[in-house]
Amino acid sequence: MTRSRWLALLAVAALVATACQPGGTGGKPSKLTIAAVQGNESIGLKALAPDYEKKTGIKLEIVESPYDQLYEKLVNSFKANDATFDLVMMDDPWMPKFGTDGSLQELGQFGITRDPDIAPVIYDVGTWPPPRGAAPPSEKGKPQQLLGITIVGNVQMFMYRSDMSEAPKTYDDVLANAKKFNQPGKMAGYAIRGKAGNPIVADFLPILWSFGGDVFDENWKVVFDSPDSVAAIKFLVEDLKAVGQASPDTSDAADRARLMAIGEAYQSSVWPGEVAGIVGDPAVSKVIGKVGFIPIPAGKSGKGFGMMGNWLLGIPKGSKNGQAAADFIKWMTEKETQKTYAEKGGIPSRTSILTDPALNEKNPYFKPLADSLQVPPNWRPRTDQWNAVENILGTELNAALAGQKTAEAAAKAAADQIRTLMTGAGYPSQ
Amino acid sequence: MAVTVTPLRRPAGRRRLGAARLLALAVLLVVGVVYAFPIYWLLITSLKSKGELFGATPTFFPGTVTFEPFFSIFGPRNFGALLVNSVVVCGAATLLALVLGFAITYPITRLAVSRRLRVNVLNWALSLRFLPPIAVVVPYFGVVRFLGLYDQPLALILVYTLFSLPFAIWMLKGFLSEIPLEVEEAAYVDGASRWQAFRSVLLPLATPGVLAAGIIIFAFAWSEFLFAFILTATPRGQTFPVGVQGLVTQFEIIWNDMAAAGVVAIAVPLALMLAARRYVMAGLTFGVIREK
Amino acid sequence: MSGPAEQALSAPAPRGWGGRRASLTAQERLAYRLLLPVLGVVVVVVTVPFLMAVVQSLEARGGGFAGLDNYVRALSSGALYAALMATAVYAAIVLPAQVLLGLGLALLVHRTIPSTAIRAALYVLAIVPLVIPPVAVGVIARLIYAPDYGALNHVLISLGLIREEIQWLSSPAAAMLSVASVDIWQWTPFVYLVAYAGLQTVPQETVEAAQVDGASGWQQFRHIELAYLRPLLVLIVFFRVADVLRVFDHVFILTGGGPGSTTQFLSLHLYRIGFKFSDLGQAAALAVLVMLFMSILYTLVTRLLPLERD
Repeated sequence: MTRSRWLALLAVAALVATACQPGGTGGKPSKLTIAAVQGNESIGLKALAPDYEKKTGIKLEIVESPYDQLYEKLVNSFKANDATFDLVMMDDPWMPKFGTDGSLQELGQFGITRDPDIAPVIYDVGTWPPPRGAAPPSEKGKPQQLLGITIVGNVQMFMYRSDMSEAPKTYDDVLANAKKFNQPGKMAGYAIRGKAGNPIVADFLPILWSFGGDVFDENWKVVFDSPDSVAAIKFLVEDLKAVGQASPDTSDAADRARLMAIGEAYQSSVWPGEVAGIVGDPAVSKVIGKVGFIPIPAGKSGKGFGMMGNWLLGIPKGSKNGQAAADFIKWMTEKETQKTYAEKGGIPSRTSILTDPALNEKNPYFKPLADSLQVPPNWRPRTDQWNAVENILGTELNAALAGQKTAEAAAKAAADQIRTLMTGAGYPSQ
Repeated sequence: MAVTVTPLRRPAGRRRLGAARLLALAVLLVVGVVYAFPIYWLLITSLKSKGELFGATPTFFPGTVTFEPFFSIFGPRNFGALLVNSVVVCGAATLLALVLGFAITYPITRLAVSRRLRVNVLNWALSLRFLPPIAVVVPYFGVVRFLGLYDQPLALILVYTLFSLPFAIWMLKGFLSEIPLEVEEAAYVDGASRWQAFRSVLLPLATPGVLAAGIIIFAFAWSEFLFAFILTATPRGQTFPVGVQGLVTQFEIIWNDMAAAGVVAIAVPLALMLAARRYVMAGLTFGVIREK
Repeated sequence: MSGPAEQALSAPAPRGWGGRRASLTAQERLAYRLLLPVLGVVVVVVTVPFLMAVVQSLEARGGGFAGLDNYVRALSSGALYAALMATAVYAAIVLPAQVLLGLGLALLVHRTIPSTAIRAALYVLAIVPLVIPPVAVGVIARLIYAPDYGALNHVLISLGLIREEIQWLSSPAAAMLSVASVDIWQWTPFVYLVAYAGLQTVPQETVEAAQVDGASGWQQFRHIELAYLRPLLVLIVFFRVADVLRVFDHVFILTGGGPGSTTQFLSLHLYRIGFKFSDLGQAAALAVLVMLFMSILYTLVTRLLPLERD
């Protein structure tokens, strides 16, 4: 008796379990679950969700995770071909990993195509294998597919106190201004974002590129210990550090943004996504209207390279609601939506919206952002090993910034580790 | 206090002790400040406005007190759901760990088993504690997915139960071995079955200890983050510490909301630990020291 | 070993039903019936991840058998040894500090503070660090140690103890000590509570007898209290050793492993390989090695120390 009761219970449990499986192929789902990054990058998305529900009746469940954790969450979820998420927000350096693994659904099949009002780089960055530059050896010959659409047009830019000087055109100007305005304890000539890991790498790559250095050349040869690269490292850990804030090796984005906001730093690099939070927040900032936003200044190479940090929306292979998810993406990039999006704190990607005068009044960085997107900015090397590379760079650069290593030693240590890593992963890196 | 303690009195050394007590109080004052300061800092951070937090110099008293962060975490951030999950997960895991703990400690304390078996079981329980979470979390992720428990509180309940077993077993063993076997024997003489004796004699006597063990297990499970983070994806399964972690964003740590969440996170287990203080102190000796 | 501690160790042996052979086996049967299902499940639950890790550690990146490649890669990485070294240094700072401070405080309170109010206040202060989410601990620590807006420098400067800000997180030694201090702050209370609870159980008669014999405070501690507390302290050290290998959150927020790789502990290294490098084979190999190391350590510790032994 008891045994049969157990069996009955088990059967019920099994039924319930099947019933709970995300069901239904095609058709209109009642809700879409979106994995989003926690922070300013998802403010606009969250603000739009109610509008979409009103319009279509589809509820948007936005699940936020912090930056690092979001990546892990997506890797885990894709590995399991999980149906939890219908849409995922991805930072663009994650594209190679997800592209190589085939974790995402192609968007063309749902009718998403290039729009002339959106900078081509925005489609390029969501295309895998990458339409230009080096691609991983395993990806050679694969057809190009559109896998993600930018919803946060993020390019690293530069900010400076426009009430105190002209805009710097080159990194020589940057250094000269920094020396001029640096007053230890009162104002940092240049605020460095130098915490170990991703922060210092994001801060440094535009300098590296503008100096003519790089991590890889077009054949994946490691050139991080080349003279140009070493000169760029020296510029950061010697020249800028001398006119930087105290303990730059522990500073993250919020720390340098805070220094800018309270008037204790003259200039720094900046992501559009962080402007609204601190430097542009009237509750915190004492410098509203006094900060100029410009594209990255030119370095020794004669050019300045911004760095892409676009946030894309993609549809995981595991999602059963591909078409509905794609419809949402389409709606997100419509002109009307983009306008509301920008008004509600989102960072739009449409050129006509970014250059809208009214919106620029409130968001002085929109126009420079549109300019940066047209250049176009560099993206981080398109390898699924990027996270590992970044981690190595972040550790060694941080050691150099903290004064534990010379620029040369850090460059060599990083280059050696990256070579081992890349050859191990099948790249022709020497 | 579980045991009332008479302060030492040495007839000849009263004055010396007075001086020593003064010194001790001074030491404790320093220690108290070292411990109270970070907690105080957490509290005032949760009450400061954002402008003040980002100000040029840190302030030791909030200029204007605001409860905005608390509204923020329970309003738009919806930490209430996570708090409920935390209570459910930790509560269920505690119960389960206690039940399993009984199944393991009852035989080794109440039944005539060989000493070797008893020692082996206890040592084995301890070895569980040596299982490094960071090493097992990835395999567990696979297992949990396979069982279809991903993002469900049940997955966390099971994992927390496992990791709570060492504490549960050692504390229960301590409390159970304190209760003389004779009390159950008396019940047997009256014709009670083993189960009846367990339920109506042993369990009531062990209740304070079980309560203490439960509260300690609950409090230790409360702040777990790694498994909670890896094994869940949405507020359906996430616990409070996962939400707290979420306030560290790519570009900024949301200091005041974080502090408010910290204050809330402390409040629940602290209240429990305070309510059961005398039992908790007895539980913390893990039954290793017995004076009989 | 002799003395009260040994008596204390021998938990009351099952007695009362001895002599009658049949009932004894019946009891043993019942014991096994209760123990085996639970133990069985737990053994499976513990063994499965280990076996999965072993399988994965032998797998090549693109699938297929890799032999010991993953282990070679794990063991030939300089970062591993740096991480081990950092973890050892961390443990060497943190463990003795926690045990000595916790024990010292417990003795201090036990011997000199009769006031229940003070004891209760100390209990509250001791509980709080144990129940804060680790990430919140990291965040408070950052608010205290950070350059420029950190509270500690401001306190020290306004007290006139220092003139210039100390960069708590920038030099390798200072960063290690800062990170360690957070661990000490958080876990000394645990040792304190346990030691204090233990001291309450030391029989008063024994202590008084020793005092009548003219034992000094130190002798009283050395021969009576320490003897009682010893098994408990061993247990505590046990728990703490296991915990040091998990330290993660506050380090991540305070220094991110920096400066350079100074505070890149074993747990951060494993995280880095598994989640940042996505090198699951190597991560599994490391996990297997860590588990083996832990079981060896566990065996050694249980052998070396008198904890519930025959």
